[in-house]
Amino acid sequence: MWREIGDREAGKIRPNAFANRFKRNRIESLQLSNHKDIVSAHRGSINSLQVDLTEGRYLLSGASDASVAAYDVQRPTEYEGNGIIGKHKCLFVVDRTHESGHQYAVSSAVWYPIDTGLFVTGSYDYHINVWDTNTTQVVTNFKMPGKVYKTAMSSLATSHMLIAAGTEDVQVRLCDIASGALAHTLSGHRDGVMTVEWSSSSEWVLVTGGCDGAIRFWDIRRAGCFLVLDQSQSQLGRRPPILDRSATNKVSSSKSSSPSPNLPVKARAAQRKLSNGSSMKQSPIAKIPAKGPLRQRLHPGMLSAQDRATAHYGAVTGLKVTEDGMHLLSAGSDSRLRLWDVESGRNTLVNFETVRLQTSKPMQLATSQNSALVFVPCMTTVKAFDMWSGRTDLTFRGHYECVNCCYFSFQDQELYTGGNDRQILVWSPSRLVYDEMDEGPHQDQDNWSD
Amino acid sequence: MGDVSDRIGRPTDNGQIGIIDPECRLIGLHLYDGLFKVIPFDNKGQLKEAFNIRLEELQVLDIKFLYGCSKPTIVVLYQDNKDARHVKTYEVSLKDKDFVEGPWSQNNLDNGAALLIPVPPPLCGVLIIGEETIVYCSANAFKAIPIKPSITRAYGRVDSDGSRYLLGDYNGLLQLLVITHEKEKVTGLKIELLGETSIASTISYLDNAVVYIGSSYGDSQLIKLNMHPDAKGSYVEVLERYVNLGPIVDFCVVDLERQGQGQVVTCSGAYKDGSLRVVRNGIGINEQASVELQGIKGMWSLRSSTEDAFDTFLVVSFISETRILAMNMEDELEETEIEGFCSEVQTLFCHDAVYNQLVQVTSSSVRLVSSITRELRNEWNAPAGYSINVATANATQVLLATGGGHLVYLEIGDGVLTEVKHSQLEYEVSCLDINPIGENPSYSQLAVVGMWTDISVRLFSLPDLNLITKEPLGGEIIPRSVLLCAFEGISYLLCALGDGHLLNFLLNTTTGELTDRKKISLGTQPITLRTFSSKNTTYVFAASDRPTVIYSSNKKLLYSNVNLKEVSHMCPFNTAAFPDSLAIAKEGELTIGTIDDIQKLHIRSILLGEQPRRICHQEQSRTFAICSVKYNQSGGDESEMHVIRLLDDQTFDFISTYPLDTFEYGCSILSCSFSDDSSVYYCVGTAYGRILVFMVEDGKLQLIAEKETKGAVYSLNAFNGKLLAAINQKIQLYKWMLRDDGSRELQSECGHHGHILALYVQTRGDFIVVGDLMKSISLLIYKHEEGAIEERARDYNANWMSAVEILDDDVYLGAENSFNIFTVRKNSEGATDEERGRLDVVGEYHLGEFINRFRHGSLVMRLPDSDVGQIPTVIFGSVNGVIGVIASLPHEQYVFLEKLQTSLRKVIKGVGGLSHEHWRSFNNEKKTVEAKNFLDGDLIESFLDLNRSKMDEIAKQMGVSVEELCKRVEDLTRLH
Repeated sequence: MWREIGDREAGKIRPNAFANRFKRNRIESLQLSNHKDIVSAHRGSINSLQVDLTEGRYLLSGASDASVAAYDVQRPTEYEGNGIIGKHKCLFVVDRTHESGHQYAVSSAVWYPIDTGLFVTGSYDYHINVWDTNTTQVVTNFKMPGKVYKTAMSSLATSHMLIAAGTEDVQVRLCDIASGALAHTLSGHRDGVMTVEWSSSSEWVLVTGGCDGAIRFWDIRRAGCFLVLDQSQSQLGRRPPILDRSATNKVSSSKSSSPSPNLPVKARAAQRKLSNGSSMKQSPIAKIPAKGPLRQRLHPGMLSAQDRATAHYGAVTGLKVTEDGMHLLSAGSDSRLRLWDVESGRNTLVNFETVRLQTSKPMQLATSQNSALVFVPCMTTVKAFDMWSGRTDLTFRGHYECVNCCYFSFQDQELYTGGNDRQILVWSPSRLVYDEMDEGPHQDQDNWSD
Repeated sequence: MGDVSDRIGRPTDNGQIGIIDPECRLIGLHLYDGLFKVIPFDNKGQLKEAFNIRLEELQVLDIKFLYGCSKPTIVVLYQDNKDARHVKTYEVSLKDKDFVEGPWSQNNLDNGAALLIPVPPPLCGVLIIGEETIVYCSANAFKAIPIKPSITRAYGRVDSDGSRYLLGDYNGLLQLLVITHEKEKVTGLKIELLGETSIASTISYLDNAVVYIGSSYGDSQLIKLNMHPDAKGSYVEVLERYVNLGPIVDFCVVDLERQGQGQVVTCSGAYKDGSLRVVRNGIGINEQASVELQGIKGMWSLRSSTEDAFDTFLVVSFISETRILAMNMEDELEETEIEGFCSEVQTLFCHDAVYNQLVQVTSSSVRLVSSITRELRNEWNAPAGYSINVATANATQVLLATGGGHLVYLEIGDGVLTEVKHSQLEYEVSCLDINPIGENPSYSQLAVVGMWTDISVRLFSLPDLNLITKEPLGGEIIPRSVLLCAFEGISYLLCALGDGHLLNFLLNTTTGELTDRKKISLGTQPITLRTFSSKNTTYVFAASDRPTVIYSSNKKLLYSNVNLKEVSHMCPFNTAAFPDSLAIAKEGELTIGTIDDIQKLHIRSILLGEQPRRICHQEQSRTFAICSVKYNQSGGDESEMHVIRLLDDQTFDFISTYPLDTFEYGCSILSCSFSDDSSVYYCVGTAYGRILVFMVEDGKLQLIAEKETKGAVYSLNAFNGKLLAAINQKIQLYKWMLRDDGSRELQSECGHHGHILALYVQTRGDFIVVGDLMKSISLLIYKHEEGAIEERARDYNANWMSAVEILDDDVYLGAENSFNIFTVRKNSEGATDEERGRLDVVGEYHLGEFINRFRHGSLVMRLPDSDVGQIPTVIFGSVNGVIGVIASLPHEQYVFLEKLQTSLRKVIKGVGGLSHEHWRSFNNEKKTVEAKNFLDGDLIESFLDLNRSKMDEIAKQMGVSVEELCKRVEDLTRLH
């Protein structure tokens, strides 16, 4: 480690490359934490976990016993084991006994992205509650037509305060915290919607995954979805080669590329609509209606083969957009994990070594820094797969029952997992713990370098 | 202009790439992994809308445009997930906004391939520079040669046809790569070692075998490549070096001359170009001789004949006598006599005159003396009842003033003094000058006179003594010294007041008009102005309690302080033995000395040939100790040697060396003493897990004690007579214990866990401020009663730290990984535990520099009586070799200057029209917020460079006068 720090000092390694390398090393050493212990306040399976986005300090958990709790993950409430193990007890818990608490399982609990003053919970009691954190009182609530599976807020949003909700109903609902009213509904799924996820590159783009096996992309400013992912559309053969590969003179090489058959060029144009990065910032799909009549037909109600496309056989149970906004991960009740190229909507065909995934419930996936790893609850274990090869990099065994959710803290490189065993486990980079009095010849391990 | 940043994508780890198509059809940018941004040019050369193309290669090492392609074509060097490296080409299709597979590709290259060199027509193609091979690759040719293992860092093209290239590697070796070809067919590659330079970051072949080597690890160089090797076999001849302090990995602030002025000694450079640099502000006087002489009232140097190039006599005037010193045959200064001079009274002025004559002005007469016979030739006596108060002269003219405001003008002939003109002014004259600034170097057409009572300066024409200009100075302080001078062809009138202020005017020599009045404060005592020459350039010396040299650069007057405490008089004394010397009268002493180059900062380089990592100074033993790494390469085998070296603090010679084990980096060094022990020690912490305690005995490092630690010792601090060490994630306190046998040992007392890596530690009293690798700043306190260290508060932001410092009891300064600096404040009055346990972020600022170290101190002499002297400052050193100052301003001044900064932002536009506000916003991967509680001193000081109308505009907005504004900004410039 000292060498890297020295290289950073001398300008031999870029500061961000240094930080990424260090984070990567930490992630590779993730294990059940030997110094951080979260004391679960729940008496039901944990369904949702999230650390706040502003300080990376408060963990919010929602559980099947209708309770929601928050923990300070930075500052332990007490210490055990010679001051080495920090116990993190909950700062507050709201459950059924609370006057406006949920009646049935809390399926989703998320922080308001801008500060920790508010959080949002969704429950099987058909309600979405918006809570004031400091008073633990409900400030607004929304009634849904069925069990709420998932709520999400966009961390990028500067011009809206919408909660996207996936419920038993076929319609995705957008609830506006600012007005306390339902903003609008997104129709297209043919079954309940287990998972919703906002884009990490545009505040207007929402991705939803339904029990109908479909993953739909929506621009919430427009009617209808603009993209339905199709598992059979893979990314093979994207770029046509220059026909005359052995071209020795440049004239022939240039000629050969321009009169190339029209068909592939068009196909390419269609799949690369989103490639314009600068316009993507403001309006990711602004160009689509103009590009061709093909897309217009994809409006709800207008049946087409593409609108019927499925991403998974069975329900889509989990979605996760990568940090860089270029890829989407989906998990399905077909026990598959798929990686999608967002821009083209193609299945990248990365073969993740999942064995079995829980099928009946929504699951919460997580990705590591730099989108190198994806953390997936695989029954009682959590596995970390390499994003590009699909290989299993790490396996986390610690829960006694099925794991429902995982959350990765970018700030601390820690993984939080919650499962049916009612436990919240912390997986942190290994930290060497040694005696307070560092005397004694037996401890000669070289713990100076990670 | 536009913003090419994207929401989508992850910034590249390997750095941004920006390239331009050789036929100027488009700009290519690789800013985010997996994306290649294209900005096309239209046929008028205007930029069109940018678009992104998906790049499947995620780990891109280099991208270049190929020459000679009918469509813009890039070549991409990348690494796959199996760590193999390949190159691939793509044509950019502007119509489809996509890539088309290019004409060729090449798989499985050298594992160290990291650099692409596109070859221009007629050969075209690309060179791929690896660590062990160099490959030439094009659609129809592939040539490779093996090279000695090395990492090439820079290249420069020699010929426009691209057949020869200079390659610079990380050891500073310069090689010539030749592509041999028959017409357009490449037949092979040849490589030849030319010699050694600084470690090159850029290589630019200029012309005629002259090459510029830009280096970020050592001094940049201008070199010449000779046709034939020198005795050592090198073709490289270094013509010039350009100082580079970077990377500054550590530094210390010392006052080696004990003058109350800090100097910075940096650990600079990397690998073989490592060095120590002594950075000093102001101009130094190198004393060559001095004598004790009390009560000097004036000094002039005289030549023994008009043709003599050197001065011989030094006339020193006292209140009631005049003494003459001269250089004798042994080049010693001894007292002599000039018979024609009156030596029983004070001399008012002396000068060389034409026809081998000397002029002496006393209160009663003007005496003209032959410099050959030294006898009086003529004398002009003041009218009875009047005595001469002030006088001045040049080679042919004398101007003097007697009581009652009489101004008398004399001209010097061969053996005669002629009174040409007499005039009476309404008030007494305080000072005069007729320094020739016109075409004739011995005759002035203008005389300047400073007046009592109406506090003005007046310009008279010579010889008729007609009043041309009268400039009231305002205020109540009389002018004490005036001077006509010319810098870079511009004439100035300088006027020094009795309170240490200096006014300067632009002087129109034909009309006598005075414009662009500026007032600055140099000191607090009366100033005497004198010109002198050094290296054929004229300077003005302002003698006062804060001696200053005034000079001009880019037609702007600059003021540089001289590293002397108080100078009452100065005169140039250019003798054969001491050429270009100055005679300086100060505090009862007459000193002869030479002056440094006239520039603001002086940098002395001590090249080590190894890389210093940590430095500290020990006052008691007058030594420096450094931790240093020597990179050896012998027979391709590279090894590092880690040593602790002891250096003399004057000569910087290595006095003693203590070798560390292989791989045992010295991470921290400290000079300290312990309670119950009067000795001073050097403590060194290593990455190996050791703390070594040394004592300097007979100029040697003697190991006194050694303590094993469980991890690398990143920081050491003296703390309450004990030693505080930061060891990996732990802060550990050690006591200095006396064993039964009389030897000493470090014994651990207590510690504090809970950091990721405690890299930077500062202490104040019982408080410990820790900068963590990735968890910002935390504040710990040592509890004496319990003998324990506890956390008091911390900043919960996720800042990756690079340096910390304590500004005062409550405010701590930090620098982080994304080139920002910030301050946090202890909140001891917080209502809840939660509030008290939190360090509030109070200041944020984007510096744009990666700071490695903060140290309290200042590069300028601090006068305790000035306001500026009270402002605490911190110096920082950065990877780019920047040394900067952060000053803690009083609130009132901050508010004033912030307003000024806001006004200046509107007037001064940044390079490329970039917004200053945006640039200075705190920005890391998590957030971007506007800068607060930090001001940009460089921007504020650029106020002084504005023209008058813009200054007026800003002064109007600020509601203060331009003079006041200038003064406040100039005060600020005194901080550095």
